[in-house]
Amino acid sequence: MIISRYMKQEHRDCDSGFAEAEQAAANADWSKAEESFLKFSNDILRHFKKEEEELFPAFETQTGSTDGPTKVMRFEHDQVRGLIGKLAHSLEAEDKDSYLSLCESMMILLQQHNMKEEQMLYAMCDRVLSPEIKESTLENMKKVEL
Amino acid sequence: MFSQNGLSLDQAPPVSVVFRFFFSGALFGVLSGIFIIFFQDTIFNSHSIEAIILTHTLTLGVMLSFMFAALFQMLPVIAGVTLTSPIRKANLVQYPFILGTVALLLAFGLSKPWLFGLASLLLGTSILFIVFAMLKNLLSLPNHSSSSKGILIALLSLGIVVLSALYLTATLSGVIDGTYYTKIKVAHYSFGLFGWIALLIISISFQVIEMFYVTPPYPTLVSRYLPLTIFMLLLFSTVATSFNDSIWFISDILIALLLSGYALLTLKRLTEKKRPLTDATVWFWRIGLNSLLLSMLSMLISLFTDMAIVKTLSYIFFASFALSIVFAMFYKIVPFLTWFHLSSQGYFTAPMMHEVIHPKTAKKHLYIHLATIIAFILSIFIPKFIILAGLLTILSFGWMTYQIIHAHLIYKKIQKSGEKFDMNPTNI
Repeated sequence: MIISRYMKQEHRDCDSGFAEAEQAAANADWSKAEESFLKFSNDILRHFKKEEEELFPAFETQTGSTDGPTKVMRFEHDQVRGLIGKLAHSLEAEDKDSYLSLCESMMILLQQHNMKEEQMLYAMCDRVLSPEIKESTLENMKKVEL
Repeated sequence: MFSQNGLSLDQAPPVSVVFRFFFSGALFGVLSGIFIIFFQDTIFNSHSIEAIILTHTLTLGVMLSFMFAALFQMLPVIAGVTLTSPIRKANLVQYPFILGTVALLLAFGLSKPWLFGLASLLLGTSILFIVFAMLKNLLSLPNHSSSSKGILIALLSLGIVVLSALYLTATLSGVIDGTYYTKIKVAHYSFGLFGWIALLIISISFQVIEMFYVTPPYPTLVSRYLPLTIFMLLLFSTVATSFNDSIWFISDILIALLLSGYALLTLKRLTEKKRPLTDATVWFWRIGLNSLLLSMLSMLISLFTDMAIVKTLSYIFFASFALSIVFAMFYKIVPFLTWFHLSSQGYFTAPMMHEVIHPKTAKKHLYIHLATIIAFILSIFIPKFIILAGLLTILSFGWMTYQIIHAHLIYKKIQKSGEKFDMNPTNI
């Protein structure tokens, strides 16, 4: 379960960063909010890149399908990217109500996405990929930079 | 191979599927308020027909509707189960379910055997149909989470609740002689309250509390074994009661302790949440969990005393537990679905969650809900307060009904006039 373990931890780390930014915005501490939001955005976008450039291709090669669950996950990544843009806009405008409202949408969207990945896709990866491929994919993911 | 694992683009079911169950549940809630005003303090005598009618309006009409809404919404995400043709399934369930509930309430009120028969037919087929469909999907899952296992057990309990109800209605309508009537009745409400309502809420909370409020996860021992332990206790007691009548006394104590432990643990998790905002939904959870604690405490005391008041308190607090959690879920699900579907369809003007239902609106409902609970407790000591409790119940569910209509109107308005771009995922 090395894929599941590593990726789940990344989800939790992103959640913590997101909560920090939300906390700062709720306190109207905009510079702290910006700093935490930037960290969250970088973390989540790097996580998506790891999936899209390393994990998903490994899974697709193994299963011979690019039209299955990974396609859906990529689509959902785009939805999250869209919301990151909107959140950044609200943050820039220091619009607390809009930022917190978008946070609510982002949280539910992201958690639904995470649940699917954790309960299905990562578990499938751990099951269908050989130990060697899992090890090498994990190593490659750790090297991914934005 | 993987298409059956729920990773479909239908991340959420059509809004109409979820909204309709919330809507019918809220209307039954208004009806329960009207019943309270008419029945007054006769509802506190648990053997009265009035108490039975009110209990079934709340558990069947209100709670089961809400739980269908939650299951249709959450099964695809929480358990990776995609129900095929959800609108068709929702229709097949909802109409016979509503008619069946009304028939059952009339059957209790008028004591007409044919009404019990009609209610059994409509409720038995509709509920068992959807329980079977959901169980079938859940059982075929290759990977289970604590939530999906818990939901599976809760659905099994619901199946037992319905089957035992069919025995009871068959007895009441004179079809069978009902040799085991009393024993089956105990199984019916025990599985209903603890096996179905409590376990479903617990199973959903394993995911929702950690993920939506960013808390530490539940200990594996709890998330993995609590639902199964409670279910086995219920099953064992139902069977063993044939040999030893006092078995429920022991299992009630154990269930009360287990559920209290769960409530305390979840309250602790909520104090450890990393998300800063303590919005109305967090308070609904806190009220619900404290109500569960008080309900279990009253139940424990009632096992050792004959005080009717304590038993009444345990019912009031259990209802407060279940409804508070449902309201917490409602204020997350409805705004999210409205926003999610409209933005997924590509509308630039999709309203944000706060524009669908503002947190202040949810907070107002929280105060109404609190006032309702207080009025109920006061009415045990000062009977006149029951009228106020009834009026507040109508206001509470009326408030909810209005929010659903409001969200639906926003949804329709944007669909009709909103600006849109092509969001077809195949073009991305």
